[in-house]
Amino acid sequence: MEKEILKSRTDDSCIHVKHPSGLDIYICEMEGFSTVEALFGTKYGSVNTMFKTKADKEYTTVPEGIAHFLEHKLFENEDCDVFDLYAKTGANANAFTSFDKTCYLFSCSKNYKESLAILLDFVQKPYFTPESVAKEQGIIGQEIKMCDDNPNWRVFFNLLNCLYHNHPVKIDIAGTVESIAEIDSDLLYKCYNTFYNLNNMVLSIAGNIKADEVLEICDKYLKPCEDKGLETVFPDEPDSIVKNEIVENQPVGNPLFNIGYKCTPENGYERLKATVKADLAGSLLADSSSEFYQRLISDGIINSSFDFECFCGDGYFSLIFSGEVKNPFRVRDEILAEFERIKSEGIDENLFRNIKKLSYGKLIRELNNVEEVANIMINSHMDGVSPYAEAEILAEVTSGDVLDFIKTELLPEKLAISVVKNGENE
Amino acid sequence: MTYERIRLAENIGLSEIIDSKFKTGVLEIDFITPLSSEKASQNASAICSINMTNSKYPSITEFSSKLNSLYGSNIFSKVNRISDFQINSIGASWLDSKYALEGEDIETETVKILLDCIFSPDIKDNAFNQNVFEIAKKDIQAKIDSEINNKRGYAVRQASKIAFRGEPAENNSYGTSETLKEVTSESAYSALQNLVINSQIEISYVSAQKNDKIRKILSDVFGKLKRNGNTYKFISFSPIKPSPEEFTETLDVNQSKMVLVFKTKKDDKYAMKMLSALYGETPFSKLFANVREKMSLCYYCSSSFSRAKNCIFVDCGVETKNIETARNAIIGQLDEIISGNFSDEDMQNVLLALENSFSGIGDTAGSYINWYKSAVYEGEYLTPEQTLEKYRNVTRDRIIECAKSLVLDTVYVMKSKEE
Repeated sequence: MEKEILKSRTDDSCIHVKHPSGLDIYICEMEGFSTVEALFGTKYGSVNTMFKTKADKEYTTVPEGIAHFLEHKLFENEDCDVFDLYAKTGANANAFTSFDKTCYLFSCSKNYKESLAILLDFVQKPYFTPESVAKEQGIIGQEIKMCDDNPNWRVFFNLLNCLYHNHPVKIDIAGTVESIAEIDSDLLYKCYNTFYNLNNMVLSIAGNIKADEVLEICDKYLKPCEDKGLETVFPDEPDSIVKNEIVENQPVGNPLFNIGYKCTPENGYERLKATVKADLAGSLLADSSSEFYQRLISDGIINSSFDFECFCGDGYFSLIFSGEVKNPFRVRDEILAEFERIKSEGIDENLFRNIKKLSYGKLIRELNNVEEVANIMINSHMDGVSPYAEAEILAEVTSGDVLDFIKTELLPEKLAISVVKNGENE
Repeated sequence: MTYERIRLAENIGLSEIIDSKFKTGVLEIDFITPLSSEKASQNASAICSINMTNSKYPSITEFSSKLNSLYGSNIFSKVNRISDFQINSIGASWLDSKYALEGEDIETETVKILLDCIFSPDIKDNAFNQNVFEIAKKDIQAKIDSEINNKRGYAVRQASKIAFRGEPAENNSYGTSETLKEVTSESAYSALQNLVINSQIEISYVSAQKNDKIRKILSDVFGKLKRNGNTYKFISFSPIKPSPEEFTETLDVNQSKMVLVFKTKKDDKYAMKMLSALYGETPFSKLFANVREKMSLCYYCSSSFSRAKNCIFVDCGVETKNIETARNAIIGQLDEIISGNFSDEDMQNVLLALENSFSGIGDTAGSYINWYKSAVYEGEYLTPEQTLEKYRNVTRDRIIECAKSLVLDTVYVMKSKEE
């Protein structure tokens, strides 16, 4: 068993173990905390619709939404519901599927060893029947309808459909009522056996735990897996965007907007570097200490809902501004003009220095929270970087690096806007 | 961890929590006042006009730059409703000073900025700076307008309005578009002064180490106030309507929503909470296991207990064609509890879930603050362990009696236009 201690420049540390079963395990003992957060995840999300292993000749294409469907179904054991098992430990259990991962998790402050055993055991024991698949189609169909009523969800996916021609990131994580109707138990087993291989998975656990105890439970419950040489592929994605605006009507208050720049996708450490630069670039506009923010909020063009995120993964990277305002198109024009101004006039060094300090403070805060730490460890592993790499990059990044990013990545022709507004008010 | 409660002045309490594991600190100041349709928007505008500037940093840019230079210290305002009261809060959070790269006293500097926001805001001629006031007002208007964006939350709020009609709790904590229109920068500043003098003030302070300087600053500032503050009782059971009131609203949505409000005169909060947990608060509850999982009637179907108003809310997302079936199923599961169809193991599982949640109190500053604030609101100062003991003493019979006492008071349905 390979074991290494990872340390941060802020005096935090965790243990990384490459378990003989093939699983990567991250453990962070956090003194003084009572809770435990554990995530057992696979690098399998909604974007992984085309794949093969070294034993396969051809790529398999699966229906949209199947990763999420699989997550729902795994909660049913052959003899009981997994929630019934957790009920006996008191843990709060859940799961989620994102674009690039599926995670099963629990949080608790008592009986963590028993809950960890349940987690490791049930995720390795799939049980699907045609009847249970049919029942789940109904439940997930209702979830899809519920998400369709969420304007924040709609405005986001509409933007992704403006930015991406072919990449499956533009498809709803849960799929559609039609796509999930194609799912059957054989397909679920095919996906399970491909992606739920311990060589493609991570366990991340933080809080009031002891590393030795965690590893002892892992030794007992993890079944060694052969690395099947998993390959996932994505359709070719042009650099250009599909269209620069989309508007949808829904019963909402103020119009909601997402304004996004499509940027060059990166991998591993380079992606993290680009993320840090994109975050700082976004803060130059969206942080309340910027002259830009002060002017827009004073003129009533934005309100305190104005925010941004860097959204990235395998084959996609974008910087997205969001909010709820009377005139989203005016906000788009202002963002465009401000980045063009920065390209010609440069970055205000005072503003940049304070934003870096803000980011440094945020990183330390995150590492003081059990749930955040467990999430940071699993996310960073799946992104191919150390949990503490962001602090290193942040310490070294300069305003020149950020200006280069703005000049090369935030291009007017790669900007799109998505709006959800109330058609009845027109 | 140490917890100390100090009285700073008439009706001003300070809860001081020191826990060395934290890398951050929080100070939150609540101005508590009866919720009224006349004053809700005035108070909300006041509290939201003082978190962007103060007299020392009169522009948003200067104010935010100063906070960023303190490693992202944050000053925030929020307005909530608890029972029949409006809680107008302003607070700050900061990075512990030991992480300062240049030796700054982050904590003291941040606390002073926060107190200046309250006691030395940017005012002229007895009115808030017009620019900042307008920003705050537009922000509140946007919050009122966007209530409908979250359909589940909107449905619950609509049900609350019907269930609590005639009580202060029927009001929105921010007021309405109409009452907001009446607010001026002068009236908002006057509302702030009124809150400082006449409200009940609760202060929560969480830090990694004891800092006598902070307690002295707070004592000096709040101790010298000339106060007329009241101490309020937060528990106010909502009267039961003679017959259930039903209201259906049709909206352009894909999924219908239904909210049922059950009320009771029975005063047994621990048994009521256990009942709600068994009924619909956990994945092994009656509603989740049966109405969602077995019957596949709803994507979500859960319950919650409001101690202050002594009622149980059940809310669900349901297809329009299944509304009536879901309603019968929800009431049917309550009948199951009334008939005693739950096991000792079910009760034990609820206790385990509560124990797990109570044992985690203290892992975040927010969880400490919420726990000790609840104690103030309920007038019962118990530790999590003492509270758990109260739950352990709840018997099956008490749960059944609580279930029997529930009366359906309100049914709100948001119906999809399409079906």
